[in-house]
Amino acid sequence: MFAELLQPSVLIPWFLAMLLGIFVGATPGLTATMAVALIVPISFHMSPMAGLAMIIGVSFTAIFAGDIPATWLRIPGTPASAAATLDGFQMAKKGKGNFALGLDLICSSIGGIIGVATLIFVAPQLARFALKFGSYEYFWLGVLGLSMSAMVTMGQTSKALLAATLGVFISTVGQDVVSNSQRYTFGSIEALGGLHFIPVMIGLFGVAEVLRNIGQSEALGEPTGEADSSSLISVLPEVLRHKWCVVRSALVGTVIGALPGAGADVAAWGSYGIAKSSSKTPEEFGTGTIEGVIAPTSANNAAVAGAWIPALVFGIPGDAVTAIVLGVMLVHGIKPGPMLFEDGGDQVRSIFAIALVTQFMLVPCGWAGVKAFGLIQKLPKRTVLAGVLVFSTVGAFAINNSMFDVYVMLAFGLIGFFMEACGVPVVPMILGLILGPLVERELRAGLIASSGSFEPFFMRPISMALVFLLFLAFFAKPMWKLISRRLFTK
Amino acid sequence: MNKTKSANQPSPSPPCLRASVVKNGFQWTKHSRSFRRFRSSFTLLVCVTILGCQKDPQAAIDSYPSKTVTVVCPWSAGGGTDRCSRFWAERLQTKFENPFVVMNRTGGSGAIGHSAVARAKADGYTMGMVTVELSMMKQMGISDLTFRDYECLMQINADSAAVVVRKDAPWKNLQELFDEIKSSKEKLKMSGTASGGIWDLARVGMLDAAGLDIHSVTWVPSKGSAPALVQLMGEHIDAVVVSVPEAMPQIEAGELRLLAVMDDQRHPDFPDIPTLKEEGCDWSAVGWRGLALPKGTPPEIVAKILVQCEEIAASEEFKEFMGKNGFAVVIRGPEEFTKFLEEQESLWTPVIDLAGYAQK
Repeated sequence: MFAELLQPSVLIPWFLAMLLGIFVGATPGLTATMAVALIVPISFHMSPMAGLAMIIGVSFTAIFAGDIPATWLRIPGTPASAAATLDGFQMAKKGKGNFALGLDLICSSIGGIIGVATLIFVAPQLARFALKFGSYEYFWLGVLGLSMSAMVTMGQTSKALLAATLGVFISTVGQDVVSNSQRYTFGSIEALGGLHFIPVMIGLFGVAEVLRNIGQSEALGEPTGEADSSSLISVLPEVLRHKWCVVRSALVGTVIGALPGAGADVAAWGSYGIAKSSSKTPEEFGTGTIEGVIAPTSANNAAVAGAWIPALVFGIPGDAVTAIVLGVMLVHGIKPGPMLFEDGGDQVRSIFAIALVTQFMLVPCGWAGVKAFGLIQKLPKRTVLAGVLVFSTVGAFAINNSMFDVYVMLAFGLIGFFMEACGVPVVPMILGLILGPLVERELRAGLIASSGSFEPFFMRPISMALVFLLFLAFFAKPMWKLISRRLFTK
Repeated sequence: MNKTKSANQPSPSPPCLRASVVKNGFQWTKHSRSFRRFRSSFTLLVCVTILGCQKDPQAAIDSYPSKTVTVVCPWSAGGGTDRCSRFWAERLQTKFENPFVVMNRTGGSGAIGHSAVARAKADGYTMGMVTVELSMMKQMGISDLTFRDYECLMQINADSAAVVVRKDAPWKNLQELFDEIKSSKEKLKMSGTASGGIWDLARVGMLDAAGLDIHSVTWVPSKGSAPALVQLMGEHIDAVVVSVPEAMPQIEAGELRLLAVMDDQRHPDFPDIPTLKEEGCDWSAVGWRGLALPKGTPPEIVAKILVQCEEIAASEEFKEFMGKNGFAVVIRGPEEFTKFLEEQESLWTPVIDLAGYAQK
């Protein structure tokens, strides 16, 4: 079977697709979903194996490549990379950009391998577990994620909460799923679809970053940054030193990815929060720590593998990419279901093999992308910023082929610029925007299902566990401090 | 005089000619008198050609298609409607030997994409894959569009809605489910779409036709059919109303089963499953898809596209594509399609009233 995979007719399109994934992932606004939708019609003219290899290759590389512009320019290429704008960017600012991305790449690959291994060995069990998540559980998961915004930005909690609340508010624009009414659309048909997450994100990060730099006009002629000479080998000792952080983040990422209602973006934030709250030096997070780089990137690649779990076991797509892949699999005559794992034979094994080999191919492909992107650093700042603005505009337009999204992007560029100027962090706003709809929808759907009773929100086993986790996240540290202080004073 | 005329007129001429006018216009101010005279006579020639084209819309019709045609898909990339749009775009591209490109314009329950088609220039270079939501968006107050805002070209598909339950559900047929709804103290929970979404309305229509109170079950809103099926499999709800192909993977995996289809005939893939009519409940609901052009597209161009569409619809490739995706083939030409859309409107309007979603 591996021999079949290594034929040039499979290997060449696979490799090209992964390079496409690097480009698409590194360009804000171009998403893995778009790349996969482009590849699908081509894949029908190929062998099923080559088609699946291209699709799997694109989806994993695009998630990693999103971290490249996030680290160099503080502009996440995909929503799942927003966490890399914290520690990755700070590390690059200190002149260790290649080191950060090397770390990022190796951990992405390891995270992916752990995710795929979980998929191979416990997919049916994990999928059954994921089904137990109803509205009540998703609600608490969303609340847990939102509370990360307080944790991510410790020290300025009130401003972070303000930003998160604004994010939740923005997410209410558009047509409401529960009541079918229109909210804050002011009669505009374009606003019916809501303010799309990606143009908002490009505005808050990309455009705001351009505006900030224009303010320092004397620096515009200088090169954008200094690239260090770190190689992939030089990061390995650090990866080894933080191996538990990688494994834990990857497992968290896989489980969150396996939940049909949550994806790689939630996984990245979740593991960042966990890494921070379990770190010995949480106050250093956000200043360029190694753990802060490792945790989100291990998790988001693992989450891509996790999304395949419900897809293969029950035919339920975990995200937009797996939804497309499911369609392709049906066309090729591969029927998803629990039986697929027991007697699926070659088809399933080849999917697994492709997913595994992709993780290893990711390292050279990704490093080529990092190096190519690093060349930009030598250009003068004004050129790079102009390029950022062009790509941001194209990306915002490409999401839905709509000028409305471009205006949204520009407006949020201004909002992001002023927020940072006032010392309000933009990251919690992104969290609010991602999780606001989840929390609101699941709370209301849950209350409809329970005829208005709050009981299932607390009494169901998984709900209870999530509430307990939430409690721990906020009170474990202060309580431990209190107890240890008592012990010391005595 | 001719020159100013050409500058003011938005012309439907080929882009290359227009570009050369602009180019000449720029050079006009930059060159010596003799050269200028040569240029101006050349410009005049170009203008005469353009004006000639404008007076003769026949030329635009004869040369159709001479540039990229956009096929608007009102739903997101990768979904069923998107797959259909891409298939048709690809086939039309081969037939016309001219680029046909799919553009996804999503959001607002399909309203954004549908209005992008209706508002586009009626020159045949924008067409759209319209869907069942068009039959209800006006009554729901989401948009003021109806099928009357389009040149309805051809219906290509209609998938029956179905009542789906878990494989171990206690009800063997629809009647038993209805009995349970009547007698059960605790309301049963159903889902499939958002509140007021198509399958919510299909559920309302079914309960009403069965003589049950439409509030006798709880509709738990969900973002779409996929999350609703997850909720059903996780035992968070009791039954789901979705179209047959949406539930196909889970049915084939043996996790879910059909109780009844909401159609006039039985589903070819499930000949043992009765229709609602057979169960004594006069109601049918289908999710359909079709091709449409903006209102006012020249009839000659409509006819040109229709000829090719008829060929594609009759082809083996189309049947194979639909079969593999589990979509039912239902072809209706322009008149039949328009008549069908009138029927759809009068089918859904009272249901929307009954469900309480009607606007004005």
